[in-house]
Amino acid sequence: MKRIVSIVMLVALMVFSTLAFVQNASAEEAKMVGTISKIEMSADKKSATAILKDTKSGEEVTIIITDEQTLDKFMDKRIVEGDEIRCKYEKVDGKNNSKIFKKTAGC
Amino acid sequence: MSGKIVAILVGCSLLAATVQAKDHPGKEYVLKNGYQGPKTCETCHPGKAREFLGTVHWKHASKVDHVDNINPNEEHGMKDRIYTMCNGNDIVNNLKEVPPNALGKTKFTGCNTCHPGDHTSDVGSTGPQAEQAIDCLICHSSKYDFSKRKAVKDKDGKVVMTQDRSTEAAANIGRPTIKNCMICHEAAGGGAMIKRGFSMAKDAEVHVTKGIICIDCHQVKNHKFPTGRDPNNWAHDGIYMTCVGECHSAKPHSDADYNRHTATIACQTCHIPKTGGAFSKDFTKWEKQSNGFYEPSTLKREVNETAPVYAWYNLTVSNTPHFIGPKGSRTDGKSKIYPFKIFQGKAYFNKKDGQLLSMDFAPPIANGDTLAGVASAARILGIKDYEPVPGWQTIYFGSNHQVTPKNKALNCANCHALNGVLNFKELGYSSKEVERLTNPELYFEKLLKLQQENE
Repeated sequence: MKRIVSIVMLVALMVFSTLAFVQNASAEEAKMVGTISKIEMSADKKSATAILKDTKSGEEVTIIITDEQTLDKFMDKRIVEGDEIRCKYEKVDGKNNSKIFKKTAGC
Repeated sequence: MSGKIVAILVGCSLLAATVQAKDHPGKEYVLKNGYQGPKTCETCHPGKAREFLGTVHWKHASKVDHVDNINPNEEHGMKDRIYTMCNGNDIVNNLKEVPPNALGKTKFTGCNTCHPGDHTSDVGSTGPQAEQAIDCLICHSSKYDFSKRKAVKDKDGKVVMTQDRSTEAAANIGRPTIKNCMICHEAAGGGAMIKRGFSMAKDAEVHVTKGIICIDCHQVKNHKFPTGRDPNNWAHDGIYMTCVGECHSAKPHSDADYNRHTATIACQTCHIPKTGGAFSKDFTKWEKQSNGFYEPSTLKREVNETAPVYAWYNLTVSNTPHFIGPKGSRTDGKSKIYPFKIFQGKAYFNKKDGQLLSMDFAPPIANGDTLAGVASAARILGIKDYEPVPGWQTIYFGSNHQVTPKNKALNCANCHALNGVLNFKELGYSSKEVERLTNPELYFEKLLKLQQENE
């Protein structure tokens, strides 16, 4: 009986550790500086996707933006395609959710 | 917060909502006649354009009587000052096209990019042409299309700033919103929230959370804006503001102990516990960006990531080549303890007279040559006798925005515990006083009671 309990405990521990690892892995944070090649607002204007071309690697990354301030900047064209952006995002379930999305330029 | 204050806040919010929801009375006129710039506004608001030309927003300067080593009879400000957050000004960094970089790319840049004129009528210009050049809508329209505001060369090769003068933008005007203010005020110093490092988002500023906007506190009269007393906010419209007034009394807390502190501690000290943005820059060494342009090397943090420093401040400013910051002391009878964002910048100083030299950014943006930038600025300013040597300047920026909710403000232990944020010794207290000020007897019972209530 003791042995069975130990095995069950061990399996439970392994499952828990794996899940914890998967959760951590799925919420990985990343940063990049890139030029916007495309902005697309959702129909309800509550989110947008922006494609950023990484200035270092040239790789295109699709970012999902939901914060009101950045959405407003898309709508009144304070941020437009061609602008260079400093972005911090969180990778969750294969999607890149923006946490910081700012133009690099200033006066 | 007292019931009276809550009632006032709710009243303000409702009034603001009503005012915002209401169309501008001139909307029909604009829709019928189109928008021809300030002369359209002046149909109903005569004299306002000329009035605006006399303000800091247009002149980027005013007489400055609270800063050391400045002639109080002359006008100074962003127009001409030199310090190491910017190392340039409207004169040496007048909006221009920079030379091509190694990739053959060029761009327009300048400190006066935010100036609400068209660049032909620039900082401090006067007369009928200047009056008609004002971009009223950038501050007053909620439908401004920013893709229409950009620096371009006209047919004569002059750099001009275009504006959105569309009927749609003009038909949607009103009191400036937070967005209208932050278009310029968040972009200063080299990027979003770099210079002052505060956010005016709903989740960052308790006033904004409650529906209060910039001009509810900065109550504008005749286009003149009351300002606070940031040691780096030199130019002003002659009107100052404090927290104490319509909304907050001089004894705003329900706790008498906290109220006793207001004689020596500024509201900001406890209620703005964090700041952010750039905390150091090196103008002698620019970093090459992936687009081929160079930018000054900058160490920066996000808003809310920097702990302020605290100092006595009597609202006058020490201004030397290596230090710009608050004057004051515990004993002068005028000072209070304020929070500041401390910033250190490296730039070139003139070995001949010790003064900080300015830099024209056009050469270093293109190729990283900072000494060429100093030489160009010296030419523009007519300085012939100089020898550039690198050095550091320390600057204290006022921390006056990003007010935190009451339950996140500093409490007794945040200052009076041994590891508290205030360095009492540096603030002028004797060892014996420090011992008394950091004794848990001061706060233990009060905080224990509070802890029990919250558990």
